[in-house]
Amino acid sequence: MRVDLEGLVFARGPFTLRGSGTFGEGVHLVSGPVGGGKSTLALLLAGLLRPESGAVRRHGVSSALLLLQFPEHHITCPTVAGEVRSWGLAPEDVLLRADLLGRGDDDPFHLSRGELRRLTLACAVMQNPDLLVLDEPFSSLDCVAKGEACWMIEERGAGITIIFSHERAVLPRVDAIWEMEDGVLTARGSVPDAIPSWRHAPPYLRYALREGARPENIRLSDAREALCRIRG
Amino acid sequence: MQDPRLRLFAAAVLSLAAFASTAGAVAALVWWLLVTPRTKVLPRPGVFLPLIAMIAVTAALSAWGGGAGLSYFIRMTVILLLAAWVYAGTEEGEMLAVAVWALGDRVGFEIGLIAEMGLTGLAVIRQDIEHMRVAMALKGIRPGVRSIVPLAANLIVTEIRRSDEIARLLVVRGYTIGGRICPLFRTEPGDVLASIMALIPVLLSTLPLRDVFILLG
Repeated sequence: MRVDLEGLVFARGPFTLRGSGTFGEGVHLVSGPVGGGKSTLALLLAGLLRPESGAVRRHGVSSALLLLQFPEHHITCPTVAGEVRSWGLAPEDVLLRADLLGRGDDDPFHLSRGELRRLTLACAVMQNPDLLVLDEPFSSLDCVAKGEACWMIEERGAGITIIFSHERAVLPRVDAIWEMEDGVLTARGSVPDAIPSWRHAPPYLRYALREGARPENIRLSDAREALCRIRG
Repeated sequence: MQDPRLRLFAAAVLSLAAFASTAGAVAALVWWLLVTPRTKVLPRPGVFLPLIAMIAVTAALSAWGGGAGLSYFIRMTVILLLAAWVYAGTEEGEMLAVAVWALGDRVGFEIGLIAEMGLTGLAVIRQDIEHMRVAMALKGIRPGVRSIVPLAANLIVTEIRRSDEIARLLVVRGYTIGGRICPLFRTEPGDVLASIMALIPVLLSTLPLRDVFILLG
């Protein structure tokens, strides 16, 4: 199972996006500053935009899902329970996972953006598609909710998960790192080898690297463990 | 037409002419063909054709019930073409400028602001529909009769909520009533001629009184 980007070029006004590479099974993090082209690439991967040249080729991927940057753009039903059903899921399980039990009859627009984010993320993860593209899944979440979102993503056992995020504080365990800046996608490689060359690495990872530690992954706990190892 | 005052005047009188009689509608259509950039001002087929289809269905039902279905179809289609022309040609702030020019800083400003918000709302509704279309595609929901009802309800609730938010925002910013702007307009020689020509369909629409009586009946 893999997704190939073959000489992908997409232009809109003065902005041009370019990217090549292969997303294999596992969790991929595409990081980079706001306005770098992450959301555009997410839409291209989901097939909602067409490239001007090149192609996105899916191999062995039978189902794909994109979680949009703004969770309210997913809403198609007037109740939270109806919204979950519109994803083809049972409301009870999803509401439990999203920590929204008892809110099934609420208007989804009455949920806070963080709650709505938890709901859509739970729906997306529980649908368990072969290819799951998450556009800024941690935005609008507090630290605890970000941690829970990371846990949901890590819990996905199989398939390809591509996370587009500028988050630099709470991150999940990932298998590969990519960077997107000024419309250019760059593969940094597999974790942990990719960590030293990661330009948008979070401050705690930079600190660990400066101290001579070699974290095994990109989470804060990985940096802390690595520092503990070298300091005894 | 560059001058929004003349553009709105022409659209108003032509719409009245088209609504009043089939002859007026045909004359307004000739005016539309002569003066506007024609198909360039029409929205994309995905928006325009369903509207035409809705008019056609209503006209067919009217004809089936013994009414003037064909006349209704012609008149409503011409009004739709005129609306598309005005919508495509109206730039941000023009409605407010015309309303203030016509009715002053108090009542004119209020009406102009409502009109501006209405026009902006149309663009926002188009975006909302596009978002819902994408959401449905992502969820694997096929567009159909069963999906239209919750979508329409959602859209209406969203727009009511957005209006409420805008109203609150106006209050927070200290808006009470009226405002001052100095509208400036650029009139081209062709604008005046086209506006005068727009009176011809109005005159024609008043001649065949039979249509007016059908309408009233």
